[in-house]
Amino acid sequence: MEKQYWKGLEELNNDPEFVRLKNNEFYELLPVKESDHKPETTRRDFLKYMGFGIAAASLAACEAPVKKAIPYLIKPEEITPGVPNYYASTFFDGYDYASILVKTREGRPIKVEGNELSSVNNTGTNARTQASILGLYDEGRIQNPLIKEKVSDWKTIDAEVTSKLTEIAAKQGNIRILSSTIISPSTKKVIADFTTKFPTTKHIQYDAISHFGMIKANKLTFGKAALPNYSFDKANCIVGFECDFIGNWISPVQYARQYAQTRKISSDKKNMSQHIQFESNLSLTGSNADIRYKIQVNEHGAALVALYNILASKAGAASLGTASTSVDQAIAKTAESLWGSRGKSLVVSGSNDVNHQVIVNGINQLLGNYGSTIDLSRQSNLRQGNDEEMNELMTELKEGKVAALIIYNSNPVYTLADGEAFAAALGKVELSVAIGTHKDETASRCQYLCPDHHYLESWNDAEPIAGHYSSCQPTIRPLYNTRQGQTSLLIWAGNATSDFHDYMQVNWSNLLSGSSKTWQNFIQDGVFEAPATAESVSFNDSELINAAIASLVKKQGAGLVLYEMTAMGNGIQANNPWLLELPDPITRLTWDNFFAVSIAYAKQQGLVQGNIIEVKSGNKTIKGPVLIQPGLANNTIAVSYGFGRTQAGKAGNGIGINSYPFAIFSEGTFQNLISGVEISKTIEDNYSFAGVQTHHTLMGRNHDILKETTLTEWIKDPASGNTYEEITTYQGKVRAAQADLWATPKQPGHDKPNHLWGMVIDLNACIGCGACVVACTAENNVPVVGKDEISRSREMHWMRIDRYYSSDADPKTNHDKKDYAAMEIPSDSPQVLFQPMMCQHCNHAPCETVCPVAATTHSSEGLNMMAYNRCVGTRYCENNCPYKVRRFNWFKYFDNDQFDYNMNNPVGKLQLNPDVIVRSRGVMEKCSLCVQRIQAGKLQAKKEGRPVEDGEIKTACAQACPTNAIVFGDYLNSESQASRMKDDPRSYVVLEHLNTQPNVYYQVKVRNV
Amino acid sequence: MNGLNRNTLRFTYFFFITLISYRLAAQPDGEALFKTNCAVCHSTGDNKVIGPGLKGITGQREMDWLIKWTKSSQTLIKAGDAEAVRVFNENNKIVMPDQPLTDEEIIAVFHYVDEAAKKVAETPVVTPSVATESEQTGNNIRLPLIIILVVLFAFFLILNATRKKLKQAYLLKEGEQLPEPLSVKQACIKWIKGNKKLIAILIIIFAVWGSVKGWYTLADIGIQQGYEPDQPIKFSHKLHAGTNQIDCQYCHSSAAKGRNSGIPSANVCMNCHRFIQEGPTTGKEEIAKIYAALDYDPNTGTYGPNQKPIQWVQVHNLPDLAYFNHSQHVTVGKIACQTCHGPVEEMDVLYQYSPLTMGWCVDCHRNTEVKMEGNHYYDNYHKYLIDKEGAEAKLTVDKIGGLECARCHY
Repeated sequence: MEKQYWKGLEELNNDPEFVRLKNNEFYELLPVKESDHKPETTRRDFLKYMGFGIAAASLAACEAPVKKAIPYLIKPEEITPGVPNYYASTFFDGYDYASILVKTREGRPIKVEGNELSSVNNTGTNARTQASILGLYDEGRIQNPLIKEKVSDWKTIDAEVTSKLTEIAAKQGNIRILSSTIISPSTKKVIADFTTKFPTTKHIQYDAISHFGMIKANKLTFGKAALPNYSFDKANCIVGFECDFIGNWISPVQYARQYAQTRKISSDKKNMSQHIQFESNLSLTGSNADIRYKIQVNEHGAALVALYNILASKAGAASLGTASTSVDQAIAKTAESLWGSRGKSLVVSGSNDVNHQVIVNGINQLLGNYGSTIDLSRQSNLRQGNDEEMNELMTELKEGKVAALIIYNSNPVYTLADGEAFAAALGKVELSVAIGTHKDETASRCQYLCPDHHYLESWNDAEPIAGHYSSCQPTIRPLYNTRQGQTSLLIWAGNATSDFHDYMQVNWSNLLSGSSKTWQNFIQDGVFEAPATAESVSFNDSELINAAIASLVKKQGAGLVLYEMTAMGNGIQANNPWLLELPDPITRLTWDNFFAVSIAYAKQQGLVQGNIIEVKSGNKTIKGPVLIQPGLANNTIAVSYGFGRTQAGKAGNGIGINSYPFAIFSEGTFQNLISGVEISKTIEDNYSFAGVQTHHTLMGRNHDILKETTLTEWIKDPASGNTYEEITTYQGKVRAAQADLWATPKQPGHDKPNHLWGMVIDLNACIGCGACVVACTAENNVPVVGKDEISRSREMHWMRIDRYYSSDADPKTNHDKKDYAAMEIPSDSPQVLFQPMMCQHCNHAPCETVCPVAATTHSSEGLNMMAYNRCVGTRYCENNCPYKVRRFNWFKYFDNDQFDYNMNNPVGKLQLNPDVIVRSRGVMEKCSLCVQRIQAGKLQAKKEGRPVEDGEIKTACAQACPTNAIVFGDYLNSESQASRMKDDPRSYVVLEHLNTQPNVYYQVKVRNV
Repeated sequence: MNGLNRNTLRFTYFFFITLISYRLAAQPDGEALFKTNCAVCHSTGDNKVIGPGLKGITGQREMDWLIKWTKSSQTLIKAGDAEAVRVFNENNKIVMPDQPLTDEEIIAVFHYVDEAAKKVAETPVVTPSVATESEQTGNNIRLPLIIILVVLFAFFLILNATRKKLKQAYLLKEGEQLPEPLSVKQACIKWIKGNKKLIAILIIIFAVWGSVKGWYTLADIGIQQGYEPDQPIKFSHKLHAGTNQIDCQYCHSSAAKGRNSGIPSANVCMNCHRFIQEGPTTGKEEIAKIYAALDYDPNTGTYGPNQKPIQWVQVHNLPDLAYFNHSQHVTVGKIACQTCHGPVEEMDVLYQYSPLTMGWCVDCHRNTEVKMEGNHYYDNYHKYLIDKEGAEAKLTVDKIGGLECARCHY
């Protein structure tokens, strides 16, 4: 049966608008209407501007401006102008963790890379880590300490806060420190010292997106209140229940890397893990699963119990009562797979319900996964938030029992379900202090606002996994009048060492004693592994039955899934324009969140995309736009966290809807899967989303873009699925690519004497997370264009990750049968395939031949070059590119108030990569295969008088990829990884029949079904 | 006899001449010795560098003592010479290194010190005013020209008026009617009608001249060849790179390592100028600017807190759209700095020697051979090109893709 691929419902349904866009040369025709931006320019104005422009140009041409060159007075020895330095550091904002290398140029950080010495994330990063660098240059950060909204100085703040704290402590008033998860051992010690000084202090950790359900379940079943550390790489069978472990769950970069290791196949490794996902929302993880089953929110518990029961019967353990779901057959099949690889399997659930997690622990215990794929002795510290303590604090606050509250890197007014109540209760506190980088929803309601350093300005340490440490060092002097939060706490507690760096160093001299590593080693490497201490835990099954009873309670009504969008996460980086503009991998929407519903449910409720609905859960009602999303379970509404900020900053304010109020505290945790919600009101509207999914549609379809096969087929034939088109010539049928108009025996094409750069992308390893897109943006000075421009199909990203849905329906046969109803089914539960798409660097490039000014030409190293200053902007190349990867600068995106993002302010511009030019209006641009990195790598080799080594040069996307799905290299070096991958029978080029001969190869996706 | 006498005389003459010249040649050069051995710590004036200024030292001390001190000051101090101990203590007990000089050489050095001190006292403060001179010469040429032009114009007016008067008188005399007086405009039109050919030729000449001039003016936009801006410090490359033979990369050290050649940071200047506090042309004035920038105190030898960066004017301005890497050319290509920057060692004020246009870059890439020998990076290339072009071929930069856009534009 032939598979059909489609980019979105618009294409599947042959929406007239989509057909128009697909067939048109350009998204819209000239002239460009600017009336949406500003009043229309009159002819007179035009003449005025032109006159002035000519005059100004002639004046400017007369005399070149005098440029100043200001060298260092005393140059630091390690700095050579024009040569980057790398410093090991750690990114942790209470949510995402990564051990990183920070690239600095002339003393300013410009790019973040993964630290290959780290066993947690290795060279991998995710989009949020990549984007975190822009947070340093955020103009919206608090720039001075504030007392009651007024700019103050540190001395005054210290004096006032210290005296008030002493006063409160003297009268035995309660002092509370509320923070997000702290993984820094030195910071914990600072807080402990603070508590010693003020004994009425209590430290409460609170995560915006809680995992306390798991922590509590582990306490109940193993007696250890902690999250385990997972080893997905050791699992042959992975089953996820509503768990987005490669996108957003606890330590996604680590898990994605491990996961991809089990998914990659080659002639040496012929086995891959099987991934089965049960979920109601279509998550990034679910879209990567081999088999995906839809379950409704209220079936989550029952499905887990059902799985437990089957496994228990196999293991000879007691059943937990009868559970029936709509997917009983699937669960039985899954149980078979799991049982087949017991001890090497893994079941995870994203629910924050303690009962669900207790059952999950029971399942993993039955399968014997503890000690192999799950390690509870070396726990993960990345989520330590305690919902019960947070709730207790809320009660205390309401009752006015808290005298002093220090809020450290936490924003409960925004992230708490009862945020408004928290805000109101904050007024009752005698002393409220906020330590953070932004004047956010919570900080703006505190009396004292102590701006914290950005992490790139800070000293810090981290212990993401017990015994695994990483260091954080400043890479730039503080840009603003900020002070490290820990230093503030040290000063207020009157500690003898008031500087956190000194404090940390003393602490580390103890931690490192007995190790061969020194403080310098630790800072330079960025990581330090302490020897593992085995700690045995024993399973206690007495809680299982109660948990099962609670799990089997089935509430009626629609289900609500609160999830994390891959770009925005929990919303702490809401003011980051790169993240706002990064298309969500699944919906491919930018600058928004929404209520996603399935097609069937929309039909049932009479919803049309763009309608505004009010969703009611308990006593909370939230209004927002509807998106119709294939792959969702029926009777389910999915909405993401992280949007609807009111005080995030210029870029992030007022975008999307805030779904945190739905995350109510119930059964001891903040819930994320909620049953019994209803759509209380529907407003017919035409809310427009800025989606990119149907932009830049490749010509042709069928099997020339995407190729996939199954594991069994692939083992039989390594080239299975890698089909190609044939055409009939006078010599009979030949492979389309062999019928060549250009290369004749006399002129076989252009020589590539020394290098042939290329890239191979393993579709089996690509999870679609978008880290590469942000890395590319950071490396290549790609501008942010905003929602309005994106809705006009003018996004500037040099690479995109095309998301294709596929279904087994054969439209031809269906048409024959006139069975249109069958067409509905695939769209309800499609398979998903991600394909990163960027300039393919064709050796027979269609864009090059149509450029009237030869602005785009081919290099002897296989690169398709783009000379911006030669380009006159005819856009012929864009039109002639079958891959639709060329981008046109419709505007000047820097120093332009209409694009008021990072390139429109002097601080934001500090991030720009000085080795790449910032393009101006009217020119074409596209992926250069990071030619600046190629040139730098070649130069290094030339200076050392040796050939370029494989792996030495990496493009930004390849470097950022958490799964190493993208491999860059020299095809002329037969030993290079890229070269070996290219020659694998699984490799193919997109649209081979056009004979463009790209240098970017893809490897057939293999599904283990 | 006579002949012999003459020969003897000749011989004697040459003998003495040789002897004298030998003596002259053997006379140690005090100045050179001072500069190599002493100038690091002493000046010829009365200012302290590390050791005290030496002005008038020969008047204060016996030459024998000076010789002993110079050869080994510590021996003298240990011997208990009261004067030596006092000098040692006065100068913060900084040990003066023993100088491996002969007595004669030491005498020559002190002789030079005396001479130098005298010279400074004698030399009046000269402020050369080359600019004013050239302006004056400019005026000198222009003024008579203007006078001549004015006189000629006056002659023209007078002659023209006379001609008109004569013509009127003639017509009156002949009894003919006077033509109606023409307005200026009518007169012009009449003249133009009468001189069509001349006008046509003038227009053609003007059009050709205008196009040529315009073409070159437009082509020169943005080219700053010869750009020679005033710098905040009158730094002379001629003195440093020319006279003193300091290697370019001693100061511009990053040229070998990175993209920028780099203007040296002030602490690099201080490697020498900690000791050399006075220059030969501008004296202390310009060097003092470095000290001011660093807030350097010559007496204590420390940098102060009020540092102010030196704002040099960039001479070579490559547009942002072109990527140029010095280390590629200096380290890999082994191109001499002068190839692009011109005779810097002869420039008092640095100017832009090359046009820095793309055509200029490309020309060089077409003509310069790549140094492939010994650099294994080029092994494949070398083999490929030898196969393709033959062993005798000139392997220039353009043959290895040196003219491709993305080598410089990205």
